[in-house]
Amino acid sequence: MHEIGTVETAAFDLGPLHIVFNPMTVMMTWIVIAVLLVFFVWLSRNMKKIPGRRQVLLEMIVDMFDKLVKDTIGEDHRKYFPLIMTIFLFVLFSNWIGVVPGLEEPTKDLNTPMALALVVFVVTNVSGVKYKGVVNYVKSFFEPVAFLFPINLVGEIGKFVSLFFRLFGNIFGGSVIIWVAYSMLMKSWWTSWIMIFLGPALYGFFGLFVGLIQAFVFMMLSMTYISIAKN
Amino acid sequence: MFQWTELLTLISAGVAMGLGAIGSGIGEGFAAGKAVEACSRQPGASDKIMKTMLIGQAVSESTGIYSLVVALLLLFAAPQGTGIVKAAALLGAGICMGLGAIGPGLGEGYAAGKGVEGIGRSPHEEGTILRVMLIGQAVSESTGIYSLVVALLLIFVV
Repeated sequence: MHEIGTVETAAFDLGPLHIVFNPMTVMMTWIVIAVLLVFFVWLSRNMKKIPGRRQVLLEMIVDMFDKLVKDTIGEDHRKYFPLIMTIFLFVLFSNWIGVVPGLEEPTKDLNTPMALALVVFVVTNVSGVKYKGVVNYVKSFFEPVAFLFPINLVGEIGKFVSLFFRLFGNIFGGSVIIWVAYSMLMKSWWTSWIMIFLGPALYGFFGLFVGLIQAFVFMMLSMTYISIAKN
Repeated sequence: MFQWTELLTLISAGVAMGLGAIGSGIGEGFAAGKAVEACSRQPGASDKIMKTMLIGQAVSESTGIYSLVVALLLLFAAPQGTGIVKAAALLGAGICMGLGAIGPGLGEGYAAGKGVEGIGRSPHEEGTILRVMLIGQAVSESTGIYSLVVALLLIFVV
C-alpha cells in the first residue's frame, strides 16, 4: 500500500522528448485489454446460423447496445456503435478490475479518463463539422447572440472536463475510502475481524455498483454530446 | 510553537464533511419521499420504483462521497507544511468542497425524486426515464466536480 497522493512513475527519453508514465496504469490497461479481447473472442468464436448459448449471450449484449445507440444518436448510428460499446466495456472492466486483490483500476489514474474524454472530444467536433458543415458548426458557437461566444466555448470545454473528472473522482474516492478503512482496521487483530464483513460490502458498493453506474454515465454522456454536435 | 496548519486541517475536515452532508441528505430524503408517494399510487410497480430510487440516491450521494474523500485526505494524507499560505489553502479546500457539495446534492436528489414519481405514473417507460434521469443528474453534478478539483488542487498543489 503506497501513500495516497504520491504516484509511482517511471521515465525514459525518446529523442528530445522526456516521457513520464505510471507503469501500474499501463500494465493494468493492458490487462483490461487482454481480458476483454479473450472474453469476446471466446464468445464470438465459431458463430452459426442457429446460435448456441455463447452466441445468444453475445447477440443479446450487442442488440441491447445497438438499440441504445440508435435511440440516442439517430442516423448513421452504426458508425459510432463500435466506439461507444468499446468505451463502455473498457471503462466497466477498468472499474471492476480493482476488486481483484493486487490489481488497481486504471481509471484511478487521471490520465486514463482524460485520454478517453479526449477521444470523445475529437469525435464530437469532427462529427459536428462533418454533419453541419464548417460554417454552420462554428456559427453555432455564436448563437443566440455573438458576444456569448466565450461562454459557449468555456461551456463546451467544461463538458469534457467534468466528463473525465466525474469518472476519476468516483473511482479515486472509492479507493481512498477503502484504503482508509483498511489501514485503520488492520491495526489490531480484533478490529480486522470487522474488515471480513465490511470489506466485501465496500468493494461491492464502490467497486461493482459505482463502477457500473459511472461506466454507464460516461457512455451515455459521450453519446449525448456526439448527438448534440451532430444533429 | 503553535501548529496553525494542523489546527486548520482539522477544522477544514470538519467543515468539508459537515456542510457536504447537507445537500446529499436532503436530496436523498426527497427521493425517498417521492418513492413512498409513488408506491402508494402504483403498488404493483414497487420493485421498479425501489430500483430507480436506489440508483438515483446512489448518484446523488456522489457529492457527499467527494466531501468524505476530501475530509479523509485532509485528516490522513494532507502534506505537512508550515506557513500561513499552506494553512489557508487547507482551510479553503474544506470550505470549497463543503459548500460546493450542497447544490449538486440537492439538485440530483430532486431529479431522482422526479424520476421515481415519473415511474410511478408510467411504469412501462422505465428505461427512458432512468436514462434521462441519469444524464440530467450527471450534468448537474458538474459544479460539484469543479469543487472537488479545486479542493484537490488546494490540498496537493498550492
